[in-house]
Amino acid sequence: MYGFHRRLLWVELSSGTASWHELTEARLRAFLGGIGLGTSLLYDCAPPAVDPFAPANPLILASAPLVDTGVTTTAKFAVVTTSPLTGFIADSLSSSLFALALKRTGCDAVIITGAAATPVYLFLTEDRVELREAAHLWGKSAQETAAAIQQEWANAEVRVAAIGQAGENRVRFATLSNEGRHAGRGGIGAVMGAKNLKAVAVSGQRRVQVADPDGVEAFATVLRRKSLGPLTAKYREIGTVANVAVFNRLGVLPTHNFQQSTCEAAEALSGEHLLTTRFSRVHGCASCTIRCERLFRALTGEEQRLEYETLFALGPLCGIADPEVVVRAAHLCDRYGLDTISTGGTIAWAMECAEKGIWPAARTQGIRFGSAEALLSLIPAIATRTGLGALLAEGSRRAAAQLGDEAQRWAMHVKGMELPGYEPRSLKTLALGLAVSARGACHNRSGAYEVDFSGQVDRLRAEPGRGALVAAAEDFAAVLDSLIVCKFLRKCFDNFFEQAADLLGAVTGWSYSAEELRRVGERINTLKKLYNIRRGWQPHDDWLPPRLLSEPLPTGVAQGTRLTATELRGMIQGYYTARGWDAQGFVPEQKRQELGIGNEESLSGVANIWHTRVSVGG
Amino acid sequence: MFPTMNDVLLPSSSCLSPLPRRGEKQNASAIILAGGKSSRMGRPKALLPFDGEPLIVHLVRRLSPLFADIVVVAAPDQELPAVPATVVHDTVAYQGPVGGLYYGLQAARTERCFVTACDAPFLNLPLIAYLLEQITDCDVVVPFWQERLQPLHAVYRRWVVALLQEQLVRQELRPVALYTKVRTREVSPEEIRRFDPEGLSFRTMNTPEEYAAALALWRARRVVCTVELFGVARLKAKVASVPLTLPPGATLRDAFAALAEQIPDLVGSVVTADRQGLTAGYACNVNGTLFTCDPTTPLHSGDSVLILSNDAGG
Ligand code: SF4
Repeated sequence: MYGFHRRLLWVELSSGTASWHELTEARLRAFLGGIGLGTSLLYDCAPPAVDPFAPANPLILASAPLVDTGVTTTAKFAVVTTSPLTGFIADSLSSSLFALALKRTGCDAVIITGAAATPVYLFLTEDRVELREAAHLWGKSAQETAAAIQQEWANAEVRVAAIGQAGENRVRFATLSNEGRHAGRGGIGAVMGAKNLKAVAVSGQRRVQVADPDGVEAFATVLRRKSLGPLTAKYREIGTVANVAVFNRLGVLPTHNFQQSTCEAAEALSGEHLLTTRFSRVHGCASCTIRCERLFRALTGEEQRLEYETLFALGPLCGIADPEVVVRAAHLCDRYGLDTISTGGTIAWAMECAEKGIWPAARTQGIRFGSAEALLSLIPAIATRTGLGALLAEGSRRAAAQLGDEAQRWAMHVKGMELPGYEPRSLKTLALGLAVSARGACHNRSGAYEVDFSGQVDRLRAEPGRGALVAAAEDFAAVLDSLIVCKFLRKCFDNFFEQAADLLGAVTGWSYSAEELRRVGERINTLKKLYNIRRGWQPHDDWLPPRLLSEPLPTGVAQGTRLTATELRGMIQGYYTARGWDAQGFVPEQKRQELGIGNEESLSGVANIWHTRVSVGG
Repeated sequence: MFPTMNDVLLPSSSCLSPLPRRGEKQNASAIILAGGKSSRMGRPKALLPFDGEPLIVHLVRRLSPLFADIVVVAAPDQELPAVPATVVHDTVAYQGPVGGLYYGLQAARTERCFVTACDAPFLNLPLIAYLLEQITDCDVVVPFWQERLQPLHAVYRRWVVALLQEQLVRQELRPVALYTKVRTREVSPEEIRRFDPEGLSFRTMNTPEEYAAALALWRARRVVCTVELFGVARLKAKVASVPLTLPPGATLRDAFAALAEQIPDLVGSVVTADRQGLTAGYACNVNGTLFTCDPTTPLHSGDSVLILSNDAGG
């Protein structure tokens, strides 16, 4: 079979067993790989009300058809589980050499269930599955863990994705990290910590064949050339940190826990400025011609990769104006394995609560906006769940619930996930995208902000018609995330669904129409929703924090701009209508059937296709 | 911090209109009649300083973004500064506008020809583009303004040159004599006002007083604005903002062209090679609110034109 190995590995940690299963063509055609495949496996394997930290919560690593085909920006993998932060689906992407090695083990996906009695790591090659003792790795960072495992195998080609202390301590927004990159959002690292699983190490040589090598090469050549042209200049020449200055100018840079959308320190924190003052080197994922990563140096010597989201969350959101502090804070987050957006969002909430006197203990300890000491001391406290960090490790929603109603007003989250660095009041399409996103306040699963920045709509106005735009953006993103192609390549396609269908055909030998591929996107997003519904989703979960619906923006070009509850409700209704869901946002039976999903009988589907059982050592 | 460029008074450049293909030159010719007597002015009008350059240079530059072909018709011995245009000289002096038109149309390389005189500095490119669009099923498009036709701000099909030759033979030196012989479309004042409410396009300079008044009006109506650069555009330009002074009625196209003139390093990478738009990786926003790359977007004094990446991903 082309493009896939059609094999799934299921590792059960409690019993120390592993089994291989065939992945059916029907499933792969319907969901592709990556986020789509991961979502379908989660839906079929997770017990309905499973606690995210319970052994039965599956942790799924999914590869994808374009991985290891030589097409630029496709060295990626997805991690899907039930989120301890939101209680709903968590789907995250990471990339680089681990992704290539994972696919070369001969598996399209790995499902991990159960929990080990003592810390272990999973070692996987084409012909070997082992659970190895990891007590000596506990407490180490992901980077240190990777180095130790490579040393253990005397093989630098072993690729490792690991958790840091935050994951070990079940911080609800802990990451899984490989090669300095993170499957960052939703607390995947905490799920691993709960399973006593420190790392997954992979090594393999099994390359998958493609159906039409010349066809794939032709696509690869065009995309490579385009990836080196003006459409990706931002990513190649500055990286995502380029967003800071221009977002400030456009009044969409969240500052002081979303109290403002402009920041006086924006120029000092801007990517343009950092490049001229602290630049260290350029880096990129494996198989990528764009190479968007920029590493910067702290005065204390640490070299640190910075992305816009990190810069915004640890800078303006917390009132931090000094790039040195942001670089050091980002370094700490990476070291402990913390999602920088949720870390910044939760700390910014704490700062506001301290300043408002809602959290006296934090106020006494000097927690306030702009305090470098507060930021730099809270990050280790969160990762180790000590002091104030014990509460903050729960994320802003749970922490606020413990402090009371007033504190909850300032918790900037959707479904428990902290908001990313795009101001919803002055980006109305994005506002809708955040409210309805299955994984919580996520800018990546829809990229709806692109609509606001495109000029095709008035970004300051809320209209029901945005529903169709958000649904289309989500379906586009779901296909990108399931092929997998990096979002930063998206503009290099002239007609994405047409070209992606042809490329997928050349890889898999299956013929796809653009319309079928669009349907794949809809199917994935609808199944995510069904998963959330099964976990108790209610209409009030698709909503935005009260601040965004009560306070007008006080500064910047969008000063005075509001988003009312009525406007948001209208946009959400427009979205449900565009999706073919009912007025409450539930998925009608007819829609399930149309998309061929959500049949509860398929829950046991994967268990029925066991092929082999192997024992694994401890 | 990035330095800000000193405010420089830029010579004006171009703008454009509701064109069928925005950002592209029209397959059309512009004919500038520069061979008039200038007797009341007391010195050659074509050489009058205007916006920092000789008027004829100014006019050619303003028209060049719109026209693939520009013809300047000069008097037999008239000396002109070098201009990027085809310069032809009347073989018979002072046969009035019909003579100039005749020589201009003869030299034109395209079928549709816009004709203007060199003493009308307030060119309104959106109006001119509109006039060009109207010629589809006629031979002459002529504006009607202040109770009279304006033959020296009109569009002619090249083939009418044969009829003009006959007029010259008959010494019929008024262009309007042509209009009864061909399909002529008059453009009403209402249509004109949509682009040029005050009819500045038809304002000419025949005396030193009119010249001084035109210069004063030009200065008063200039568009003083700022281009703010973000991301790669800023890195390439090595400045964060560039103040620009643009001609009255300026549009985004003028801003792009003027920016290219100030910072040639941006041409090809950020500003298109023809200096009329932005390359594929860039987007434009006016005043932080309106996202548009439409080169016909009007600008006003005090506006900020933001040039940023067209990909907001992070
Ligand atoms: S563009 Fe950036 S994130 Fe995307 S694959 Fe390349 S290096 Fe990785």
